Amino acid sequence: MTIAVIMLTLAGLIFFFATTVGILRFPDFFSRMHAAGKGDTLSSLLMLLPLALYNFHEFDLANMLVALKVLLIAVFIFMASPTATHAILDAGYEAGIKPWTKKPEEESP
Amino acid sequence: MIWQLDFCVLTLIVICAFATIMVKDLLSAAIIFGAYSFLMCLLWTEMGAVDVAFTEASVGAGVSTVLFFAAVYQTTRRVGVRKSGRMLSKAFALVAALLTGLVLVIAEADFPGFGDIFTPASLHVSPYYITQTLHDTNVPNMVTSVLADYRGFDTMFETAVIFTAGLAVIAILRRFKKEDRCDLPEPYVISAGYPDTIIRFVARQLVPFIQLFALYVVAHGHHSPGGGFQGGVILGASFILLAISYDFKVVLGIMSERWNVLLGNIGVLIYAGIGFLCLLLGANFLDYSMLSKILPATDKIMARSHGMLGIEIGVAIAVMAIVISIYLNIVSHGKYDKGL
Amino acid sequence: MHALIADYNYWIYILLMMIGLYAMLAKNNLVKKVIGMSIFQTAIIVFYVSIGAKEHASIPIIAHGSGHGAVEAAIDVAHYANPLPHVLMLTAIVVSVGTLGVALAICLGIHRRYNSLEEDEIQEQLQ
Repeated sequence: MTIAVIMLTLAGLIFFFATTVGILRFPDFFSRMHAAGKGDTLSSLLMLLPLALYNFHEFDLANMLVALKVLLIAVFIFMASPTATHAILDAGYEAGIKPWTKKPEEESP
Repeated sequence: MIWQLDFCVLTLIVICAFATIMVKDLLSAAIIFGAYSFLMCLLWTEMGAVDVAFTEASVGAGVSTVLFFAAVYQTTRRVGVRKSGRMLSKAFALVAALLTGLVLVIAEADFPGFGDIFTPASLHVSPYYITQTLHDTNVPNMVTSVLADYRGFDTMFETAVIFTAGLAVIAILRRFKKEDRCDLPEPYVISAGYPDTIIRFVARQLVPFIQLFALYVVAHGHHSPGGGFQGGVILGASFILLAISYDFKVVLGIMSERWNVLLGNIGVLIYAGIGFLCLLLGANFLDYSMLSKILPATDKIMARSHGMLGIEIGVAIAVMAIVISIYLNIVSHGKYDKGL
Repeated sequence: MHALIADYNYWIYILLMMIGLYAMLAKNNLVKKVIGMSIFQTAIIVFYVSIGAKEHASIPIIAHGSGHGAVEAAIDVAHYANPLPHVLMLTAIVVSVGTLGVALAICLGIHRRYNSLEEDEIQEQLQ
Protein backbone atom coordinates (compact mmCIF):
# COMPACT_ATOMS: atom_id res chain seq x y z
CA MET A 1 0.00 0.00 0.00
CA THR A 2 2.78 2.44 0.88
CA ILE A 3 4.60 1.53 -2.33
CA ALA A 4 1.50 2.34 -4.36
CA VAL A 5 1.13 5.70 -2.58
CA ILE A 6 4.75 6.63 -3.24
CA MET A 7 4.61 5.52 -6.88
CA LEU A 8 1.44 7.48 -7.60
CA THR A 9 2.79 10.62 -5.92
CA LEU A 10 6.00 10.41 -7.94
CA ALA A 11 4.01 9.92 -11.14
CA GLY A 12 1.93 12.98 -10.27
CA LEU A 13 5.08 15.02 -9.72
CA ILE A 14 6.56 13.92 -13.04
CA PHE A 15 3.38 14.88 -14.88
CA PHE A 16 3.30 18.27 -13.12
CA PHE A 17 6.87 18.90 -14.20
CA ALA A 18 5.98 17.94 -17.77
CA THR A 19 2.99 20.30 -17.67
CA THR A 20 5.17 23.20 -16.52
CA VAL A 21 7.78 22.54 -19.20
CA GLY A 22 4.99 22.36 -21.78
CA ILE A 23 3.50 25.69 -20.71
CA LEU A 24 6.87 27.35 -20.98
CA ARG A 25 8.06 25.81 -24.24
CA PHE A 26 5.08 25.46 -26.53
CA PRO A 27 4.95 28.11 -29.25
CA ASP A 28 1.27 28.89 -29.40
CA PHE A 29 -1.68 29.73 -27.15
CA PHE A 30 -3.68 26.66 -28.15
CA SER A 31 -0.89 24.16 -27.60
CA ARG A 32 -0.04 25.77 -24.26
CA MET A 33 -3.65 25.30 -23.21
CA HIS A 34 -3.35 21.64 -24.22
CA ALA A 35 -0.49 21.27 -21.78
CA ALA A 36 -2.13 23.32 -19.04
CA GLY A 37 -5.58 21.79 -19.19
CA LYS A 38 -4.89 18.13 -19.70
CA GLY A 39 -1.62 17.92 -17.78
CA ASP A 40 -3.02 19.86 -14.85
CA THR A 41 -6.11 17.70 -14.48
CA LEU A 42 -4.20 14.45 -14.75
CA SER A 43 -1.51 15.51 -12.30
CA SER A 44 -4.05 16.70 -9.73
CA LEU A 45 -5.92 13.42 -9.95
CA LEU A 46 -2.71 11.43 -9.68
CA MET A 47 -1.76 13.33 -6.53
CA LEU A 48 -5.18 13.12 -4.89
CA LEU A 49 -5.51 9.37 -5.40
CA PRO A 50 -2.58 8.45 -3.11
CA LEU A 51 -3.99 10.80 -0.46
CA ALA A 52 -7.20 8.79 -0.52
CA LEU A 53 -5.35 5.47 -0.62
CA TYR A 54 -3.20 6.43 2.35
CA ASN A 55 -6.26 6.45 4.58
CA PHE A 56 -6.89 2.79 3.91
CA HIS A 57 -4.19 1.84 6.41
CA GLU A 58 -6.67 1.49 9.28
CA PHE A 59 -10.26 0.60 8.50
CA ASP A 60 -12.29 2.80 10.80
CA LEU A 61 -15.10 5.21 10.00
CA ALA A 62 -13.19 8.46 10.35
CA ASN A 63 -10.50 7.42 7.89
CA MET A 64 -13.05 6.09 5.43
CA LEU A 65 -14.85 9.42 5.55
CA VAL A 66 -11.61 11.29 4.84
CA ALA A 67 -10.85 9.01 1.88
CA LEU A 68 -14.37 9.51 0.54
CA LYS A 69 -14.06 13.29 0.81
CA VAL A 70 -10.74 13.30 -1.04
CA LEU A 71 -12.29 11.18 -3.80
CA LEU A 72 -15.17 13.65 -4.05
CA ILE A 73 -12.64 16.45 -4.51
CA ALA A 74 -11.07 14.40 -7.31
CA VAL A 75 -14.47 14.03 -9.01
CA PHE A 76 -15.05 17.78 -8.74
CA ILE A 77 -11.68 18.56 -10.29
CA PHE A 78 -12.38 16.08 -13.05
CA MET A 79 -15.60 17.92 -13.88
CA ALA A 80 -14.51 21.51 -13.42
CA SER A 81 -10.97 21.69 -14.78
CA PRO A 82 -11.69 20.58 -18.38
CA THR A 83 -14.65 22.97 -18.45
CA ALA A 84 -12.39 25.82 -17.40
CA THR A 85 -9.91 24.87 -20.14
CA HIS A 86 -12.75 24.86 -22.64
CA ALA A 87 -13.85 28.31 -21.47
CA ILE A 88 -10.36 29.77 -21.86
CA LEU A 89 -9.92 28.24 -25.31
CA ASP A 90 -13.31 29.54 -26.39
CA ALA A 91 -12.38 33.03 -25.28
CA GLY A 92 -9.09 32.81 -27.15
CA TYR A 93 -10.80 31.61 -30.31
CA GLU A 94 -13.41 34.37 -30.12
CA ALA A 95 -10.65 36.95 -29.68
CA GLY A 96 -9.20 35.83 -32.98
CA ILE A 97 -5.92 34.20 -32.03
CA LYS A 98 -4.62 32.31 -35.06
CA PRO A 99 -3.00 28.90 -34.59
CA TRP A 100 0.75 28.67 -35.00
CA THR A 101 1.90 27.33 -38.33
CA LYS A 102 5.35 26.21 -39.25
CA LYS A 103 7.06 28.90 -41.29
CA PRO A 104 8.67 27.92 -44.62
CA GLU A 105 12.44 27.48 -44.49
CA GLU A 106 13.57 30.43 -46.63
CA GLU A 107 11.80 33.02 -44.51
CA SER A 108 13.61 32.32 -41.25
CA PRO A 109 17.10 33.78 -40.74
CA MET B 1 5.78 23.36 10.47
CA ILE B 2 8.12 22.01 7.85
CA TRP B 3 10.81 24.60 7.39
CA GLN B 4 11.88 23.49 3.91
CA LEU B 5 8.35 24.05 2.61
CA ASP B 6 8.27 27.39 4.42
CA PHE B 7 11.44 28.46 2.65
CA CYS B 8 10.26 27.57 -0.87
CA VAL B 9 6.77 29.00 -0.50
CA LEU B 10 8.04 32.28 0.97
CA THR B 11 10.43 32.75 -1.97
CA LEU B 12 7.63 32.09 -4.46
CA ILE B 13 5.38 34.55 -2.62
CA VAL B 14 7.92 37.35 -2.94
CA ILE B 15 8.36 36.61 -6.65
CA CYS B 16 4.59 36.73 -7.17
CA ALA B 17 4.29 40.00 -5.24
CA PHE B 18 7.00 41.64 -7.38
CA ALA B 19 5.34 40.33 -10.55
CA THR B 20 1.91 41.61 -9.57
CA ILE B 21 2.95 45.21 -9.25
CA MET B 22 5.36 45.24 -12.19
CA VAL B 23 3.15 43.81 -14.94
CA LYS B 24 1.83 46.29 -17.48
CA ASP B 25 -1.57 44.67 -17.95
CA LEU B 26 -4.25 44.87 -15.27
CA LEU B 27 -5.84 41.53 -16.13
CA SER B 28 -2.51 39.74 -15.76
CA ALA B 29 -1.93 41.57 -12.48
CA ALA B 30 -5.28 40.29 -11.20
CA ILE B 31 -4.47 36.70 -12.16
CA ILE B 32 -1.01 36.83 -10.58
CA PHE B 33 -2.65 38.27 -7.47
CA GLY B 34 -4.88 35.19 -7.42
CA ALA B 35 -1.78 32.98 -7.56
CA TYR B 36 -0.22 35.05 -4.74
CA SER B 37 -3.33 34.48 -2.61
CA PHE B 38 -3.23 30.73 -3.19
CA LEU B 39 0.44 30.61 -2.18
CA MET B 40 -0.41 32.56 0.98
CA CYS B 41 -3.11 30.00 1.71
CA LEU B 42 -0.54 27.20 1.36
CA LEU B 43 1.86 29.04 3.68
CA TRP B 44 -0.75 29.43 6.39
CA THR B 45 -1.80 25.79 6.18
CA GLU B 46 1.82 24.81 6.67
CA MET B 47 2.03 27.10 9.73
CA GLY B 48 -1.01 25.44 11.25
CA ALA B 49 -3.62 28.13 10.59
CA VAL B 50 -6.20 26.07 8.71
CA ASP B 51 -9.18 28.33 9.35
CA VAL B 52 -7.28 31.38 8.13
CA ALA B 53 -6.10 29.46 5.05
CA PHE B 54 -9.66 28.34 4.27
CA THR B 55 -10.93 31.90 4.51
CA GLU B 56 -8.11 33.23 2.35
CA ALA B 57 -8.69 30.52 -0.27
CA SER B 58 -12.38 31.30 -0.57
CA VAL B 59 -12.28 35.07 0.01
CA GLY B 60 -8.88 36.21 -1.16
CA ALA B 61 -8.18 33.88 -4.03
CA GLY B 62 -11.78 33.42 -5.10
CA VAL B 63 -13.87 36.50 -4.62
CA SER B 64 -11.08 39.11 -4.75
CA THR B 65 -9.86 37.89 -8.13
CA VAL B 66 -13.40 37.98 -9.53
CA LEU B 67 -13.91 41.50 -8.17
CA PHE B 68 -10.68 42.65 -9.86
CA PHE B 69 -11.87 41.13 -13.14
CA ALA B 70 -15.21 42.87 -12.79
CA ALA B 71 -13.52 46.21 -12.14
CA VAL B 72 -11.13 45.76 -15.11
CA TYR B 73 -14.10 44.83 -17.31
CA GLN B 74 -15.79 48.13 -16.52
CA THR B 75 -12.72 50.34 -16.84
CA THR B 76 -9.61 49.73 -18.87
CA ARG B 77 -6.96 47.07 -19.12
CA ARG B 78 -4.03 49.28 -20.02
CA VAL B 79 -1.62 50.68 -17.50
CA GLY B 80 -0.39 54.06 -18.63
CA VAL B 81 2.98 55.63 -18.03
CA ARG B 82 3.28 58.63 -15.77
CA LYS B 83 4.06 61.67 -17.87
CA SER B 84 5.82 63.96 -15.44
CA GLY B 85 7.64 63.49 -12.21
CA ARG B 86 8.23 59.79 -12.67
CA MET B 87 11.67 59.55 -11.16
CA LEU B 88 10.72 61.81 -8.30
CA SER B 89 7.76 59.74 -7.19
CA LYS B 90 9.65 56.46 -7.52
CA ALA B 91 12.64 57.82 -5.60
CA PHE B 92 10.45 59.19 -2.84
CA ALA B 93 8.51 55.95 -2.49
CA LEU B 94 11.70 53.88 -2.51
CA VAL B 95 13.27 56.03 0.20
CA ALA B 96 10.13 55.87 2.33
CA ALA B 97 9.86 52.10 1.94
CA LEU B 98 13.56 51.57 2.69
CA LEU B 99 13.45 53.72 5.81
CA THR B 100 10.37 51.96 7.16
CA GLY B 101 11.89 48.60 6.31
CA LEU B 102 15.10 49.53 8.10
CA VAL B 103 13.22 50.50 11.25
CA LEU B 104 11.31 47.21 11.14
CA VAL B 105 14.46 45.15 10.61
CA ILE B 106 16.06 46.80 13.65
CA ALA B 107 12.92 45.99 15.64
CA GLU B 108 13.01 42.44 14.35
CA ALA B 109 15.86 41.54 16.64
CA ASP B 110 13.40 41.64 19.53
CA PHE B 111 10.78 39.48 17.90
CA PRO B 112 9.97 36.13 19.52
CA GLY B 113 11.60 33.16 17.90
CA PHE B 114 9.63 31.52 15.15
CA GLY B 115 7.90 28.44 16.49
CA ASP B 116 8.80 29.15 20.09
CA ILE B 117 6.34 27.76 22.61
CA PHE B 118 6.90 30.50 25.15
CA THR B 119 6.20 33.55 23.02
CA PRO B 120 4.23 36.24 24.88
CA ALA B 121 1.29 35.67 22.54
CA SER B 122 0.92 32.11 23.77
CA LEU B 123 1.33 32.70 27.47
CA HIS B 124 -1.52 34.71 28.92
CA VAL B 125 -5.06 34.19 27.70
CA SER B 126 -4.43 31.62 25.02
CA PRO B 127 -3.78 28.62 27.31
CA TYR B 128 -7.14 29.27 28.94
CA TYR B 129 -8.86 29.09 25.55
CA ILE B 130 -7.01 25.95 24.52
CA THR B 131 -7.67 24.01 27.71
CA GLN B 132 -11.16 25.20 28.52
CA THR B 133 -12.96 25.28 25.19
CA LEU B 134 -14.08 21.67 25.25
CA HIS B 135 -15.12 21.99 28.87
CA ASP B 136 -17.04 25.26 28.53
CA THR B 137 -18.64 24.95 25.13
CA ASN B 138 -18.18 21.38 23.86
CA VAL B 139 -16.80 22.63 20.54
CA PRO B 140 -13.48 21.11 19.49
CA ASN B 141 -12.55 23.81 17.00
CA MET B 142 -10.83 26.39 19.18
CA VAL B 143 -10.90 29.09 16.52
CA THR B 144 -14.69 28.84 16.12
CA SER B 145 -15.30 28.89 19.85
CA VAL B 146 -13.09 31.93 20.39
CA LEU B 147 -14.56 33.68 17.34
CA ALA B 148 -18.21 33.03 18.11
CA ASP B 149 -18.37 32.72 21.85
CA TYR B 150 -15.46 34.15 23.80
CA ARG B 151 -14.97 37.08 21.38
CA GLY B 152 -18.45 37.15 19.90
CA PHE B 153 -18.80 40.91 20.19
CA ASP B 154 -16.00 41.49 17.66
CA THR B 155 -17.60 39.11 15.19
CA MET B 156 -20.93 40.89 15.45
CA PHE B 157 -19.36 44.18 14.50
CA GLU B 158 -17.36 42.48 11.75
CA THR B 159 -20.65 41.32 10.22
CA ALA B 160 -21.96 44.86 10.53
CA VAL B 161 -18.80 46.10 8.74
CA ILE B 162 -19.43 43.73 5.83
CA PHE B 163 -23.01 44.96 5.60
CA THR B 164 -21.78 48.55 5.63
CA ALA B 165 -19.30 47.78 2.83
CA GLY B 166 -22.16 46.45 0.70
CA LEU B 167 -24.19 49.57 1.39
CA ALA B 168 -21.20 51.77 0.56
CA VAL B 169 -20.74 50.10 -2.83
CA ILE B 170 -24.43 50.64 -3.57
CA ALA B 171 -24.16 54.28 -2.48
CA ILE B 172 -21.11 54.91 -4.68
CA LEU B 173 -22.24 53.19 -7.85
CA ARG B 174 -26.01 53.51 -8.03
CA ARG B 175 -26.24 57.13 -8.90
CA PHE B 176 -28.64 58.49 -11.46
CA LYS B 177 -28.02 62.22 -11.46
CA LYS B 178 -27.08 63.84 -14.75
CA GLU B 179 -23.75 65.42 -13.82
CA ASP B 180 -22.29 62.11 -12.61
CA ARG B 181 -22.70 60.35 -15.92
CA CYS B 182 -20.31 61.48 -18.61
CA ASP B 183 -21.42 58.99 -21.26
CA LEU B 184 -18.33 56.92 -21.80
CA PRO B 185 -18.07 54.53 -24.72
CA GLU B 186 -19.02 50.99 -23.83
CA PRO B 187 -16.25 48.89 -22.34
CA TYR B 188 -14.83 46.58 -24.95
CA VAL B 189 -16.37 43.17 -24.78
CA ILE B 190 -15.01 39.97 -26.17
CA SER B 191 -18.03 37.72 -26.11
CA ALA B 192 -20.87 38.99 -24.02
CA GLY B 193 -23.61 36.48 -23.40
CA TYR B 194 -22.29 33.83 -25.74
CA PRO B 195 -24.46 30.84 -24.83
CA ASP B 196 -21.94 28.04 -24.63
CA THR B 197 -23.52 24.68 -24.00
CA ILE B 198 -20.70 22.95 -22.16
CA ILE B 199 -20.08 25.75 -19.69
CA ARG B 200 -23.77 26.23 -19.00
CA PHE B 201 -24.36 22.52 -18.52
CA VAL B 202 -21.46 21.95 -16.17
CA ALA B 203 -22.21 25.10 -14.17
CA ARG B 204 -25.84 24.07 -13.85
CA GLN B 205 -24.79 20.66 -12.55
CA LEU B 206 -22.15 21.97 -10.16
CA VAL B 207 -23.99 24.84 -8.49
CA PRO B 208 -26.26 22.70 -6.24
CA PHE B 209 -23.26 20.72 -5.02
CA ILE B 210 -21.29 23.88 -4.33
CA GLN B 211 -24.17 25.24 -2.29
CA LEU B 212 -24.52 21.97 -0.43
CA PHE B 213 -20.83 22.05 0.37
CA ALA B 214 -21.20 25.64 1.60
CA LEU B 215 -23.99 24.60 3.97
CA TYR B 216 -21.81 21.71 5.13
CA VAL B 217 -18.97 24.14 5.85
CA VAL B 218 -21.28 26.36 7.91
CA ALA B 219 -22.76 23.50 9.90
CA HIS B 220 -19.52 21.61 10.42
CA GLY B 221 -17.58 24.61 11.63
CA HIS B 222 -17.53 23.25 15.14
CA HIS B 223 -15.53 20.16 14.30
CA SER B 224 -13.46 21.05 11.28
CA PRO B 225 -12.09 24.21 9.71
CA GLY B 226 -15.00 26.25 8.52
CA GLY B 227 -17.70 28.41 9.94
CA GLY B 228 -20.00 31.18 8.89
CA PHE B 229 -17.67 33.36 6.82
CA GLN B 230 -16.24 30.66 4.63
CA GLY B 231 -19.66 29.10 4.01
CA GLY B 232 -21.24 32.43 3.19
CA VAL B 233 -18.50 33.33 0.71
CA ILE B 234 -18.79 29.95 -1.01
CA LEU B 235 -22.55 30.44 -1.30
CA GLY B 236 -21.98 33.86 -2.84
CA ALA B 237 -19.38 32.41 -5.20
CA SER B 238 -21.89 29.84 -6.47
CA PHE B 239 -24.18 32.67 -7.52
CA ILE B 240 -21.27 34.46 -9.19
CA LEU B 241 -20.56 31.25 -11.13
CA LEU B 242 -24.18 31.26 -12.27
CA ALA B 243 -23.89 34.89 -13.36
CA ILE B 244 -20.70 34.29 -15.32
CA SER B 245 -21.80 31.12 -17.08
CA TYR B 246 -25.37 32.14 -17.82
CA ASP B 247 -26.52 35.67 -18.17
CA PHE B 248 -26.15 38.45 -15.66
CA LYS B 249 -29.91 38.93 -15.58
CA VAL B 250 -30.52 35.40 -14.34
CA VAL B 251 -28.90 36.14 -11.00
CA LEU B 252 -30.50 39.56 -10.93
CA GLY B 253 -33.88 37.85 -11.22
CA ILE B 254 -33.12 35.54 -8.30
CA MET B 255 -31.29 37.96 -6.03
CA SER B 256 -32.47 41.45 -6.80
CA GLU B 257 -31.05 44.47 -5.04
CA ARG B 258 -33.93 44.54 -2.60
CA TRP B 259 -33.38 40.93 -1.57
CA ASN B 260 -29.64 41.40 -1.22
CA VAL B 261 -29.94 44.29 1.18
CA LEU B 262 -32.78 42.56 3.01
CA LEU B 263 -30.85 39.34 3.47
CA GLY B 264 -27.75 41.21 4.59
CA ASN B 265 -29.89 42.96 7.14
CA ILE B 266 -31.51 39.72 8.28
CA GLY B 267 -28.09 38.17 8.83
CA VAL B 268 -26.95 40.94 11.17
CA LEU B 269 -30.38 40.88 12.81
CA ILE B 270 -30.10 37.15 13.55
CA TYR B 271 -26.74 37.72 15.20
CA ALA B 272 -27.81 40.68 17.30
CA GLY B 273 -31.18 39.08 17.88
CA ILE B 274 -29.69 36.01 19.51
CA GLY B 275 -27.61 38.29 21.70
CA PHE B 276 -30.67 40.31 22.59
CA LEU B 277 -32.59 37.12 23.32
CA CYS B 278 -29.96 36.19 25.88
CA LEU B 279 -30.40 39.65 27.36
CA LEU B 280 -34.16 39.12 27.62
CA LEU B 281 -33.62 35.79 29.35
CA GLY B 282 -31.69 37.44 32.11
CA ALA B 283 -27.99 37.11 31.30
CA ASN B 284 -25.40 39.30 29.62
CA PHE B 285 -25.58 40.20 25.93
CA LEU B 286 -24.37 37.23 23.82
CA ASP B 287 -24.16 34.89 26.81
CA TYR B 288 -25.54 31.79 25.13
CA SER B 289 -25.76 29.60 28.20
CA MET B 290 -29.09 31.23 29.06
CA LEU B 291 -30.54 29.80 25.84
CA SER B 292 -30.85 26.51 27.69
CA LYS B 293 -34.04 27.88 29.18
CA ILE B 294 -35.89 27.95 25.86
CA LEU B 295 -34.14 25.22 23.88
CA PRO B 296 -35.56 21.83 24.88
CA ALA B 297 -33.34 19.27 26.56
CA THR B 298 -30.03 21.09 26.51
CA ASP B 299 -27.80 21.99 29.39
CA LYS B 300 -25.78 25.18 29.58
CA ILE B 301 -22.77 23.80 27.74
CA MET B 302 -24.71 22.50 24.73
CA ALA B 303 -26.72 25.73 24.67
CA ARG B 304 -23.50 27.61 24.01
CA SER B 305 -22.73 25.27 21.14
CA HIS B 306 -26.18 25.78 19.62
CA GLY B 307 -25.99 29.52 20.11
CA MET B 308 -22.74 29.52 18.16
CA LEU B 309 -24.40 27.62 15.32
CA GLY B 310 -27.22 30.16 15.26
CA ILE B 311 -24.95 33.14 14.88
CA GLU B 312 -22.83 31.33 12.27
CA ILE B 313 -25.98 30.93 10.20
CA GLY B 314 -26.69 34.64 10.55
CA VAL B 315 -23.14 35.49 9.46
CA ALA B 316 -23.37 33.16 6.45
CA ILE B 317 -26.60 34.73 5.23
CA ALA B 318 -25.21 38.26 5.58
CA VAL B 319 -21.89 37.47 3.87
CA MET B 320 -23.58 35.66 0.97
CA ALA B 321 -25.94 38.54 0.26
CA ILE B 322 -23.25 41.18 0.46
CA VAL B 323 -20.76 39.27 -1.75
CA ILE B 324 -23.44 38.88 -4.43
CA SER B 325 -24.44 42.52 -4.08
CA ILE B 326 -20.88 43.86 -4.38
CA TYR B 327 -20.23 41.71 -7.45
CA LEU B 328 -23.50 42.74 -9.17
CA ASN B 329 -22.81 46.39 -8.57
CA ILE B 330 -19.18 46.40 -9.67
CA VAL B 331 -19.64 44.34 -12.79
CA SER B 332 -22.51 46.40 -14.14
CA HIS B 333 -21.35 49.79 -12.83
CA GLY B 334 -24.55 50.14 -10.87
CA LYS B 335 -26.71 50.25 -13.96
CA TYR B 336 -27.89 46.62 -13.82
CA ASP B 337 -28.34 46.34 -17.56
CA LYS B 338 -25.62 43.96 -18.59
CA GLY B 339 -22.48 42.56 -17.16
CA LEU B 340 -20.03 39.68 -17.34
CA MET C 1 19.96 26.78 10.83
CA HIS C 2 16.79 27.22 12.76
CA ALA C 3 17.60 30.79 13.71
CA LEU C 4 18.27 31.52 10.04
CA ILE C 5 14.84 30.23 9.08
CA ALA C 6 13.20 32.28 11.84
CA ASP C 7 14.95 35.42 10.64
CA TYR C 8 14.15 34.61 6.99
CA ASN C 9 10.47 34.39 7.83
CA TYR C 10 10.38 37.80 9.45
CA TRP C 11 12.53 39.44 6.77
CA ILE C 12 10.22 38.14 4.05
CA TYR C 13 7.26 39.59 5.90
CA ILE C 14 9.02 42.97 6.13
CA LEU C 15 9.91 42.74 2.41
CA LEU C 16 6.31 42.01 1.48
CA MET C 17 5.06 44.92 3.53
CA MET C 18 7.54 47.24 1.84
CA ILE C 19 6.53 45.97 -1.61
CA GLY C 20 2.94 46.80 -0.75
CA LEU C 21 3.91 50.23 0.60
CA TYR C 22 6.00 51.01 -2.49
CA ALA C 23 3.14 50.01 -4.77
CA MET C 24 0.73 52.24 -2.88
CA LEU C 25 3.06 55.24 -3.09
CA ALA C 26 4.82 55.01 -6.43
CA LYS C 27 2.44 53.38 -8.85
CA ASN C 28 0.47 55.60 -11.13
CA ASN C 29 -2.51 53.38 -11.79
CA LEU C 30 -5.25 53.35 -9.16
CA VAL C 31 -5.94 49.63 -9.41
CA LYS C 32 -2.23 48.92 -8.90
CA LYS C 33 -2.42 50.97 -5.69
CA VAL C 34 -5.36 48.82 -4.56
CA ILE C 35 -3.35 45.68 -5.31
CA GLY C 36 -0.51 47.14 -3.21
CA MET C 37 -2.96 47.67 -0.36
CA SER C 38 -4.02 44.01 -0.56
CA ILE C 39 -0.40 42.84 -0.54
CA PHE C 40 0.20 45.00 2.56
CA GLN C 41 -2.81 43.46 4.33
CA THR C 42 -1.80 39.87 3.59
CA ALA C 43 1.75 40.59 4.79
CA ILE C 44 0.36 41.70 8.16
CA ILE C 45 -1.62 38.46 8.31
CA VAL C 46 1.59 36.48 7.67
CA PHE C 47 3.18 38.23 10.64
CA TYR C 48 0.34 37.48 13.05
CA VAL C 49 0.04 33.85 12.00
CA SER C 50 3.78 33.31 12.33
CA ILE C 51 3.87 34.58 15.90
CA GLY C 52 1.15 32.09 16.74
CA ALA C 53 2.86 29.12 15.14
CA LYS C 54 4.45 26.56 17.41
CA GLU C 55 7.01 23.97 16.55
CA HIS C 56 5.73 20.35 16.30
CA ALA C 57 2.25 21.63 17.04
CA SER C 58 -0.94 20.47 15.46
CA ILE C 59 -3.83 22.53 14.12
CA PRO C 60 -6.05 24.21 16.71
CA ILE C 61 -8.80 21.60 16.63
CA ILE C 62 -8.93 19.25 19.58
CA ALA C 63 -8.85 15.72 18.23
CA HIS C 64 -11.03 13.77 20.57
CA GLY C 65 -11.44 10.09 20.10
CA SER C 66 -15.05 9.03 20.30
CA GLY C 67 -17.98 11.37 20.77
CA HIS C 68 -18.80 14.10 23.24
CA GLY C 69 -18.65 13.70 26.93
CA ALA C 70 -15.77 11.28 26.88
CA VAL C 71 -13.22 11.51 29.62
CA GLU C 72 -10.98 14.39 28.61
CA ALA C 73 -7.32 13.67 28.70
CA ALA C 74 -5.10 16.51 29.80
CA ILE C 75 -4.96 18.93 26.88
CA ASP C 76 -1.37 19.91 26.38
CA VAL C 77 -1.08 23.58 25.45
CA ALA C 78 2.19 23.10 23.59
CA HIS C 79 0.52 20.57 21.34
CA TYR C 80 -1.86 22.99 19.65
CA ALA C 81 -1.14 26.10 17.67
CA ASN C 82 -2.19 29.35 19.29
CA PRO C 83 -5.78 30.08 18.17
CA LEU C 84 -5.91 33.73 19.16
CA PRO C 85 -4.00 35.26 16.18
CA HIS C 86 -6.02 33.05 13.85
CA VAL C 87 -9.27 34.52 15.14
CA LEU C 88 -8.03 38.08 14.73
CA MET C 89 -6.80 37.36 11.23
CA LEU C 90 -10.11 35.79 10.18
CA THR C 91 -11.76 39.11 10.94
CA ALA C 92 -8.95 40.92 9.12
CA ILE C 93 -9.33 38.90 5.91
CA VAL C 94 -13.08 39.39 5.71
CA VAL C 95 -12.81 43.11 6.42
CA SER C 96 -10.08 43.37 3.79
CA VAL C 97 -12.37 41.97 1.11
CA GLY C 98 -15.03 44.49 2.11
CA THR C 99 -12.45 47.27 1.82
CA LEU C 100 -11.37 45.89 -1.57
CA GLY C 101 -14.95 46.05 -2.84
CA VAL C 102 -15.38 49.66 -1.75
CA ALA C 103 -11.96 50.66 -3.15
CA LEU C 104 -12.77 49.14 -6.56
CA ALA C 105 -16.16 50.87 -6.55
CA ILE C 106 -14.42 54.20 -5.94
CA CYS C 107 -12.00 53.43 -8.82
CA LEU C 108 -14.99 52.79 -11.08
CA GLY C 109 -16.60 56.06 -10.03
CA ILE C 110 -13.39 57.97 -10.74
CA HIS C 111 -13.00 56.32 -14.16
CA ARG C 112 -16.54 57.27 -15.10
CA ARG C 113 -15.98 60.89 -14.12
CA TYR C 114 -12.48 61.52 -15.50
CA ASN C 115 -12.15 58.76 -18.13
CA SER C 116 -8.81 57.70 -16.77
CA LEU C 117 -7.33 55.56 -14.03
CA GLU C 118 -3.96 57.28 -13.99
CA GLU C 119 -3.17 59.53 -11.07
CA ASP C 120 -1.36 62.27 -12.97
CA GLU C 121 -4.06 62.60 -15.65
CA ILE C 122 -6.71 62.92 -12.97
CA GLN C 123 -4.67 65.56 -11.17
CA GLU C 124 -4.29 67.49 -14.43
CA GLN C 125 -8.03 67.44 -14.97
CA LEU C 126 -8.65 68.57 -11.42
CA GLN C 127 -6.83 71.85 -12.04
